[in-house]
Amino acid sequence: MRLSKDMVEAARKALNKPAPYGPDVDLSKYDILNPRRIEPAEILERERVRDASGKLGFTPEIVEKAGYVQVDEAYLASALIESLRKQGVIVMSTAEALRKLDMAREVAWTLISPDTDKYVATAYLYGKEQGYFIYVPPGVKVRTPIYTCLLITRGMTAQLLHNIIYVADGAEANVVTGCSIAGLHAEALHISVSEFFVGRDAKLTFAMIHAWSKGAVVRPRTAVKVAEGGRYVSYYMIYSAVHSLQSYPKVILGRNASTSLYSVISGEGEGIYDVGSSATLAGPGSSAEIISRNLAKGRSRVVARSEIVGESGPSKGHIECMGLILSDTAYISTIPLLDSRNSEAVLTHEAAIGKIGEDQLTYLMSKGFSEDEARALIIRGFLSVEAPDLPPQVKLSVDRVTELISSKGHG
Amino acid sequence: MSNEVLRVENADIYVAGKRILRGVNLSVGAGELHIIMGPNASGKTTLLSAIAGVEPYEVRSGRVMLAGEDITNYPLYKRVEKGLVLAYQNPPSFKGVKVLEIMKWLRRKFDLDPSFTESLAEILDIHKLLGRDLFSGMSGGERKRLETYLTLSIMPKVALLDEPDSGVDLDSVGRILEAIKLALKHGISVVLVTHSTHMLNLVRPLANTVHLIFKGCLVFSGLYDEVVPLVIKRGFEGAAKALRRWC
Repeated sequence: MRLSKDMVEAARKALNKPAPYGPDVDLSKYDILNPRRIEPAEILERERVRDASGKLGFTPEIVEKAGYVQVDEAYLASALIESLRKQGVIVMSTAEALRKLDMAREVAWTLISPDTDKYVATAYLYGKEQGYFIYVPPGVKVRTPIYTCLLITRGMTAQLLHNIIYVADGAEANVVTGCSIAGLHAEALHISVSEFFVGRDAKLTFAMIHAWSKGAVVRPRTAVKVAEGGRYVSYYMIYSAVHSLQSYPKVILGRNASTSLYSVISGEGEGIYDVGSSATLAGPGSSAEIISRNLAKGRSRVVARSEIVGESGPSKGHIECMGLILSDTAYISTIPLLDSRNSEAVLTHEAAIGKIGEDQLTYLMSKGFSEDEARALIIRGFLSVEAPDLPPQVKLSVDRVTELISSKGHG
Repeated sequence: MSNEVLRVENADIYVAGKRILRGVNLSVGAGELHIIMGPNASGKTTLLSAIAGVEPYEVRSGRVMLAGEDITNYPLYKRVEKGLVLAYQNPPSFKGVKVLEIMKWLRRKFDLDPSFTESLAEILDIHKLLGRDLFSGMSGGERKRLETYLTLSIMPKVALLDEPDSGVDLDSVGRILEAIKLALKHGISVVLVTHSTHMLNLVRPLANTVHLIFKGCLVFSGLYDEVVPLVIKRGFEGAAKALRRWC
């Protein structure tokens, strides 16, 4: 772990450094609480925990069996099933991993620099390494999803997290993270710094569902390194109001590595959603696809960024970015960027923004759908991204959320 | 007509403020097959769309009666609930909306007869389309067969089929004809717009009435042999001049 004096100093200097994207936020008004460990019963019995996790479509059983649960400053790790433990799979808090494991110390803060911006710097200096650490040993294929829940139940709280996933060579894992807040109006800050490592010929499928509140400020910072022949699949979904969300995960791909990055953004209220994905084709034979569906209603502002950098060839990258505006006061901007530094990198993109077609509405009504039913069906179709790598259990959660978005799909 | 199920009375039909058809009268009995013929842009699609209640087509004077009920001012989906369904000539494509999803929805909404829908699906060779996006990336034949299926499976009182045979191979035309026969057998009335001589030959034994539309007017309604041979021989204009009864 890079905890040198220089690093701390650099982070201190970055405490006022705004991010290049998204509105700048005054972080001083949020309370930073000391982390503490809690017992399962304490978590599960709290009504506000049930409220927050329920918004994600996570049943009490999922929360009970989750590998890691963080509620405000309190955490619980882990209820991992015995068979996984026997195979050497580790799920613990990052703080504990950094105390106990050399490899955790070796990789922490190597993909994201603490002085990246004020949000990362704050998490680095004050977060006390809350968050989860997941390790899957070489060759171990964990097909059952490992759930993690990151919940906020108290207003004006700053939740500062540092998550690490390490899937060793030839291993596989499915991680599902739900991030949510209790109540519809609560003000809170969520900063989540995530560093993921996918080994040679390894595979990580990472699904993240966000359900926030009108007052939530959300700043995830994610970087992923995929080694030769590895595969990283990410499925991100947000379907709630938010004060502002800004995120731009970056994936670096080695030789013959591949990634598929899906995101489904449903903006509402007055929220600002500045969400992107970036992939760097660093190794020959690597490939990336970035697929996003962006829906905006109310007075929301959605900025969908995507970037593929072709550093080596042959390599292949494709961006597909679609937007659907459901009200005249909403706003969507798609910013696809292709950056080729190698003549054998084939990079393409397609983007379109529109409203629901009158011809589609009329057609469905000609088959007996009411206008509301037709609208919901069209929205559900728009949001249905074919993501074949998603495990069935995760697909169920995604389908539940998609259903929820489409059923309230009015401007 | 004692078993009359659809009646259009002296209807003037407008699109975006412009009158396209005037003084249309039409009467369709239960389980009957009616053919509507006319040159391009004569108002055939306009007539079917206005009867079905598709905007911006509107009946400004006159009225549309379905099984004795005045449905002139009913919205589109309500007419479907009442038993009047339009099959589009060119249905739009839907990305992400699966055929199976639509079929499930129709089954729930209309409490469909499983033996009828199964026979219909077999005739129209629908099963292989279930996992596909609705009309997206489908061939002409697949689109028409699916649209015919979605329209007839509801078992409406009246099905309005707008050129279900255009741009379709002979096999698919045969399947669509078989689907129409099954519908008629189940008492569904069918109003069919077609241009194709092949289809016209096939429906000859089934057709009760043929209507001829020319220059914004339904000029004649009569037996198949009164209209079709004359149109084939003298063209629409010649046939309209010879047969003109109204307008």
